Amino acid sequence: MGEAAVRPLRILLAKLGMDTHTVGITVVAHALREAGMEVIFTGLKQTPEAVANAAIQEDVDVVGVSSLSAGHTRNLPRLAQLLKAQGAGDKLLVAGGVIPEEDLPLLSAAGFAKVFTMGTDTRDIVAYLRAWWAGRGAAPSAPP
Amino acid sequence: MDVAAELLAGRVAAGARAIRWLDDGDPRGRAVLRSIFPATGRAHVVGVTGPPGAGKSTLVDMLISEQRRRGRRVAVLAIDPTSPFTGGAILGDRVRMSRHALDEGVFIRSLATRGQHGGLSRSTYDATLVLDAMGYELVIVETVGVGQEEMDVVRLAHSTIIVAVPGLGDEVQAMKAGLLEAGEILVLNKADREGVDETCRHLELLLHLRAGSRGAGTWSTPLLRAVAARGEGGDAIVAALDAHRAHLVASGEFARQSARCCEAQFLALARAAVLAELKARAGAALLEEVRSRRLDPYSAAERLLAPLRPGACG
Repeated sequence: MGEAAVRPLRILLAKLGMDTHTVGITVVAHALREAGMEVIFTGLKQTPEAVANAAIQEDVDVVGVSSLSAGHTRNLPRLAQLLKAQGAGDKLLVAGGVIPEEDLPLLSAAGFAKVFTMGTDTRDIVAYLRAWWAGRGAAPSAPP
Repeated sequence: MDVAAELLAGRVAAGARAIRWLDDGDPRGRAVLRSIFPATGRAHVVGVTGPPGAGKSTLVDMLISEQRRRGRRVAVLAIDPTSPFTGGAILGDRVRMSRHALDEGVFIRSLATRGQHGGLSRSTYDATLVLDAMGYELVIVETVGVGQEEMDVVRLAHSTIIVAVPGLGDEVQAMKAGLLEAGEILVLNKADREGVDETCRHLELLLHLRAGSRGAGTWSTPLLRAVAARGEGGDAIVAALDAHRAHLVASGEFARQSARCCEAQFLALARAAVLAELKARAGAALLEEVRSRRLDPYSAAERLLAPLRPGACG
């Protein structure tokens, strides 16, 4: 309880499924930290259930999922559904990695606001999140 | 919905949101704390601290498993440093605890220090109260990797585990002045490494010297070996934690420790409020007089406080 309220954006970065490529997500994590955000890692080979639990316990504003192997058409909608079911549907969902163009409508319909495909500049990710955060007025979260 | 009532009923999302409010300095956090405060004071608060690379998170992971085996609900607050340059942080402690992600009896929360020194965040004490009120029997506070002077966790926790590793000769030297004197359980982690016997002897000597300077009937700090990555040594650590808790309860120290924490938090909050009030009262004019060296700091402080002294008019 400090006298000055500080409210950095909190984001959970997760990897779903079996892929173990961590370079992309690590680069993104460092870029977000440089941008003044609090980045929480969950580790590799996570299930949608585990990521949803972590997102709720950490009370993050954003959940970012990296997917570099198939499975995203099943895992990502499942994660969105779990968060909604547990009253955490207010979190911004974004994804990144190897995601074919034709899957984008499905992810959008599932509740993913943005998909950063391969080759996205980290500055674009930072800019996107900052704009979203500013749009919310960095508003204090309502009761869950 | 009523966050306080929901978290008292054990709803995870409500507790998580209350911690967020308290971490952010949101006034709603204070309202929640007011409601839940009577329900606090039950949890055993355990600190885990030590130098960077000692394996604190892995040790906490093992302790969670051991406590769950005994049927106890466990909450963890894992603190990592905020970058003083950007205000950002990477919080990765829960990676080592990810096997507990689906266990409903485990709550893990990462906190960034947000400019606070001493190894904890400013919100850590408040967060322990929330978790206590949610009914977690054990609240483990894992500090940032600390050196000699950052030991706020010792004041916060009922029992503090100091984690050391073989081969950190200089670190051990540094620890003896600070951490080692404060912890109640000393764990030598990574005890399958070379140099473990030498480090063990060194620590034993320090503990022996320390014991000699304390009276009879006081807690005798055990030195325990562990290989947390392989799950070895957890049983003995939990047994020592239970013994320490029993020791604290029997001597009345458990309640006294909690009372001291409350008092310290009250004074810290009062201090911050008084400071803000004084700054506001001083006003731009007085501050400018000091800044421009027309008035010395001592006289300025006297002038500011004069109306507050007993017997002063107005």
